[in-house]
Amino acid sequence: MSNSSALALPVARREQAASHYRAMGVPHRRVEEWKYSDLARALGEEGFSDGTACWHIGPLPAGVEIFDLAEPNAPEWVRKHLGSLKESVMSAASLAYAQGGVALHVTKVAAGPLALEFSGAGHVRALIVMDAGASLTLQENLAGCDRRNIGVEIVLGEKAQLHHVRIAPVAAGAVQVEEVAMTLAAGAGYHSHYASFGAKLSRLELDIALEGEGAEANLSGVSVLGEDNHADITTRISHAVGLTHSTQLFKKVAGGNSRAIYQGKVSVEKGANGSDSRQTAKALLLSRQAEADLKPELEIFADDVKCAHGAAVGDLDADSLFYLRARGIPETDARALLIHAFLEDAMTGIANADLREQVRGAVNDALGRVSA
Amino acid sequence: MSSAAADTKNTVAAIGEKYKYGFVTDIEMEKAPKGLSEDTVRFVSAKKGEPQWMLDWRLGAFRRWGEMKEPNWARVHYPKIDYQNAYYYAAPKNTPLKQSLDEVDPKLLETYKKLGIPLNEQMALAGVAVDAVFDSVSVATTFKDKLNEVGVIFCPISEAIRDYPDLVKQYLGTVVPVTDNFFATLNAAVFTDGTFVYVPKGVRCPMELSTYFRINASETGQFERTLIIADEGSYVSYLEGCTAPKRDENQLHAAVVELVALEGAEIKYSTVQNWYPGDENGLGGIYNFVTKRGDCRGDRSKISWTQVETGSAITWKYPSCILRGDGSVGEFYSIAIANHYQQADTGTKMIHLGKNTRSRIISKGISAGKAQNTYRGQVSVYGKAEDARNFTQCDSLLIGGDCGAHTVPYIESRNPTARIEHEATTSKIADDQLFYCLQRGLGQEEAVALIVNGFCKEVLQQLPMEFAVEAQKLVGISLEGSVG
Repeated sequence: MSNSSALALPVARREQAASHYRAMGVPHRRVEEWKYSDLARALGEEGFSDGTACWHIGPLPAGVEIFDLAEPNAPEWVRKHLGSLKESVMSAASLAYAQGGVALHVTKVAAGPLALEFSGAGHVRALIVMDAGASLTLQENLAGCDRRNIGVEIVLGEKAQLHHVRIAPVAAGAVQVEEVAMTLAAGAGYHSHYASFGAKLSRLELDIALEGEGAEANLSGVSVLGEDNHADITTRISHAVGLTHSTQLFKKVAGGNSRAIYQGKVSVEKGANGSDSRQTAKALLLSRQAEADLKPELEIFADDVKCAHGAAVGDLDADSLFYLRARGIPETDARALLIHAFLEDAMTGIANADLREQVRGAVNDALGRVSA
Repeated sequence: MSSAAADTKNTVAAIGEKYKYGFVTDIEMEKAPKGLSEDTVRFVSAKKGEPQWMLDWRLGAFRRWGEMKEPNWARVHYPKIDYQNAYYYAAPKNTPLKQSLDEVDPKLLETYKKLGIPLNEQMALAGVAVDAVFDSVSVATTFKDKLNEVGVIFCPISEAIRDYPDLVKQYLGTVVPVTDNFFATLNAAVFTDGTFVYVPKGVRCPMELSTYFRINASETGQFERTLIIADEGSYVSYLEGCTAPKRDENQLHAAVVELVALEGAEIKYSTVQNWYPGDENGLGGIYNFVTKRGDCRGDRSKISWTQVETGSAITWKYPSCILRGDGSVGEFYSIAIANHYQQADTGTKMIHLGKNTRSRIISKGISAGKAQNTYRGQVSVYGKAEDARNFTQCDSLLIGGDCGAHTVPYIESRNPTARIEHEATTSKIADDQLFYCLQRGLGQEEAVALIVNGFCKEVLQQLPMEFAVEAQKLVGISLEGSVG
């Protein structure tokens, strides 16, 4: 069987995605949305190497069905949703060239975190469909130092709740792109935390559509970067209807030669009255060669809304540092304490205590490495 | 010689004829041939009696322009502009002067009245023939004397090219390079006039300079070029534009403003722009594509932009500061009001290069009707900008459910000692505020004007006094018909 039919998708759909990708080309810094992440340059001539990208999944809790996208005879829920959400350039690429992937169907409230890991090089897809009222805590881990492009689609039914914690350990030399498209029905909630520790180029891009009243997305994330690592989080949240909520809180610490990026766009569509959106991105630079680029964007077509964003880049607060030192804490310790406090703010929202501890552990390791 | 070139040459010669008889202000000059070509550029240059170096400069710009593409990244939509179907030397206008105010569009007069503009000025603005407008010549002469005393040069740029070529050569195009962007390059090729200001070392300019008082300033044309140089330790405040609406035949405006502040100098540049925004149905209106940039070249210099943008169908404008000198300061205070079908995409860039540089951005965007209003800004701190500091606040106010307000800030830092803060909010006029005002007997529109003026207060306070009073009224007038 040829590649083009390996994914549970009609050949024509894959060809459509391939032509979309070909028409746009590999994004580079002249493409405004990729201004801070020159993918074409990072990939060079080779592009994404073929074929070894794969996924591993932990024990399935009750209420979760799984389907291997490389298998034939996809069930109805896969055929209905795979390749149905908004397609970015890089998600078109994974749709066109992935040779496999995983689909999860959550039918009820599922117990315990479900672990999903991606590794290897090339393109891979994932699909998560949650029925009305279903709930899941998903732990996503990235492994290896490869050139990989993950395409994820998430469909949340009414009142479905997805808690998503993603840990991307440092992967020097790797080029890692992940494109997530998501739609939320009325009352659904997406609560996520992304901990990224950088790669040669690392980009997580989310396109979230709040399409039912009462839908909400609460995003948070930390980045701790050192050496010549790069981590880019790009979000687009669309308030398509009224009474939808979104919050975003991103904290970044950049040392060495690293580059921390946050681009976030919140759109409120016409008539989406009662939308409420809050967006905060803060970065701390630890070295002279580090760079932080923040771009919190608002696009508003309705008048009865509450939208605010804040962004800040700087050093630690001199007064706080002074206060601690005045109490006999050596400067290095005082700085470490304040950096922890700065990041902690974005981690307290992780609902699952075990996952929260894991993220904290990863952050502590990274801080030890970066600020040393 | 091509026929077009011959045509140009004849036209230039013909204009020369008329000059012989001393008609300077009132003659109905011929237009340059329609379209944009090297000949148009030569015509404009010849018309201005420019030296060869200036013509070469223009021609260089024109050639580059031919290779450039019109930018399309701004959030503004307009029909494609046919650059060959326009006149590039159209001023002074051929339109006959009106005999009395009765012939003037009553809507225009109504607005003048609301702004409280004196009758004589109304006539001047509406293009009514009067014997003595309001003694502008003597006013201007008094000004000139005073400025001469302290050595400030304040004249049309065409005069400066003739009389002060060394100064112009030294600074023209050094802040906004000829090839900076599509519209700036177009301007470099065909700019017709504008203002030149030079403030010598240590001089505090004794008055607010304003185009309003400059002789021959009434027809600045569609491609205006302004160059202001503040030498070491000097200070100048410059007012551009006017609160009164003016009807203009030229739809496309592409101005360039360059400011240079040397060590310890300060330039304060205030703009009130109220060009024709088109009618309630979005027909007509000026396309305003402006490139404004200030260069804080010396240490401890300061450039401050204040703008009240209420007119134009399309506004594309980003007054910026390059903070090159150590300890230099950049400021941007803006009110942008878009009503009906107006589209405004405006903001600023603060480029921190020097140590201890500081910048402050306060932007207030108001959208009503079906208008779209975008703040687009960039704050960049480069590696050597130790202890740089920026504070940005951009607030948007929406009036009605059919308009849009957008914020696109870029924040880039490459120095760990720099501090950048950005805040933005979007809201509407609260029902309780409106109710409170109505309950106290204010009309709906008065109430909106009051609330909006409160929203804009921080920026209005930055305007020179005489502008501030009119600008406040203007804010109210611009939003007429947006509520209820």
